[in-house]
Amino acid sequence: MRRRAYQALEPSRRGKVARGALLAVASVVTLFPFYAMVVLSLKPAAAIEFPGSLLPWNLATEAYDRVLSGQNLLQWTFNTAVYSLVSVVGVLLMSAMAGYAFAKKRFPGREAMFWTFIAMVMVPYHVTLIPTFVIIAQAGGVDTYWGLILPTLANAQAVFLMRQFIGGLPDELFEAAKIDGASEWRMFTTMVLPLCKPILATLGTFVFLWHWNDFLWPLIVGRSNDMWTLTVGIASLHQQNVPLNVVLAGSVVAFVPIFAAYLVGQRYFREGVTMSGIKG
Amino acid sequence: MTPSDEPSRARTAQRVLARREARIGLLFVLPAFIVFLAFRFGPAIASMALAFTDYTIGATPNWLGLENFRRMLDDPVFWSALKVTVMFTVMTVPVSLAMSVGMALLVRRAFRGVGLFRSIFFLPVVTSLVLAATVFTWIFSSNGPWSSLMGRLGLPEETWLGNPNLVLPALVVVAVWSRFGYGMLILLARLQDVPRELEEAALTDGANAWQRFRYIVFPQLRPALFFLAVIETTASFQVFDLVYVMTGGGPARASYTLVYELYEQGFRYFNLGYASAIGVALFVMTLVVALIQRWVIGRDR
Repeated sequence: MRRRAYQALEPSRRGKVARGALLAVASVVTLFPFYAMVVLSLKPAAAIEFPGSLLPWNLATEAYDRVLSGQNLLQWTFNTAVYSLVSVVGVLLMSAMAGYAFAKKRFPGREAMFWTFIAMVMVPYHVTLIPTFVIIAQAGGVDTYWGLILPTLANAQAVFLMRQFIGGLPDELFEAAKIDGASEWRMFTTMVLPLCKPILATLGTFVFLWHWNDFLWPLIVGRSNDMWTLTVGIASLHQQNVPLNVVLAGSVVAFVPIFAAYLVGQRYFREGVTMSGIKG
Repeated sequence: MTPSDEPSRARTAQRVLARREARIGLLFVLPAFIVFLAFRFGPAIASMALAFTDYTIGATPNWLGLENFRRMLDDPVFWSALKVTVMFTVMTVPVSLAMSVGMALLVRRAFRGVGLFRSIFFLPVVTSLVLAATVFTWIFSSNGPWSSLMGRLGLPEETWLGNPNLVLPALVVVAVWSRFGYGMLILLARLQDVPRELEEAALTDGANAWQRFRYIVFPQLRPALFFLAVIETTASFQVFDLVYVMTGGGPARASYTLVYELYEQGFRYFNLGYASAIGVALFVMTLVVALIQRWVIGRDR
């Protein structure tokens, strides 16, 4: 009886066919924009019309030649990489340090400081956008890497997640090392950081993804063409009546690194994004 | 050494150690805290202050009192942006939640290829909205697939992005595409917690699929659904990337959202005071939505 019920929770044969059909349709719809992006980027500019241009023949790399030669795309890719990688290192280091202190050290003002972090998770990013820009502008950070990167290092969620994780590590680990006379910094780099590897990987993936796809802040801080990131550059190509195949070639170039990383470390993407939420 | 010295010596040593601990703790928190004060906490306070001034880059701010807020209430553009933002949110959140539930149920059980389907549905979540917007602009263009599909379904065949009544639904399509995989994944984790015995018992009692979903699965999903509703409402309220790339707020301000107005006031016209006031209004609104949603969850429990 019980066994039959167990099996009956699985869909019937007809149910399985229906499920398969629904999933197939949903997959095609989900993947269609990616397919269109790639195929149209490989078409000569004159040939783009629906539906003929969606067929994968008569392909040409004309758009790639153009976007890679003329439009600063390599510079934007470099800027995006700098923005993403430096931010990942900065956020991980600072949040691991703060998380360790909040979780394992007693110091005056600990609770007050921690709650300041937590309270700010509630405040939407756009509310602080204008004063942040004013501060960066007054300090001469417009159109510089540091002006782009520094404000995005303030990441309350990262501090919170690190504190949660390190709080779950047993105290005895650290006491044993202390008795051995290890200095705090050494203990941090040789014990805390290695123990945090799983959370650092997840958090790092998310911070990387967030920066790689970030748009509004780079749009505001990057004034000159050669300080733009990929998202800002592609948005500007899109608005300048550049032929569609060239814009989409740029999109493909911007998407490939994320896609490659997604194929390799999907688990981290899933965990990172589900831990930290989505963007509007 | 007299025996009475022992405890006091130990206490002193302990105090020295505690002080050292405190110093180290502070030093470790400091980098994150300074950056945080300068670029999150400080700006949040400054935003409240700027909202009461006529600040613009390079000029000394004058105190205006409530002038900016009065101007906002009289500003038809603000009201229209508010209406557009609310309409976008009201359309996006339920559709996205329904899609998330549906897809989570479809990929719930293990079967061959289920991992691939989950990966496919999550791919849009990691894709930049700017990139998505470049493709979707073509999809919605007059010679793109959407218009031709609509024509075949007997619906208006015109370009949705060019029609004031259809531009928001078009943006909703893109937003849902870009985030249903996120909701699906969150719900999938909760679905694993539904006790199998309960579902089996219901089945033996003759409950059909809908009844099992309604009375056993859905109650388990409820907290996660509320969580998603809060996240998605906040995200929808702050929609910007799609608007900037796909429509520029048009046609006729039909997709001109609050954050887009904040951006234009702040960084096109440099009315930083007024833009801050819009930011404060945005904050109050998201706070109210979050409180209402929290209250609803509390009442349900």
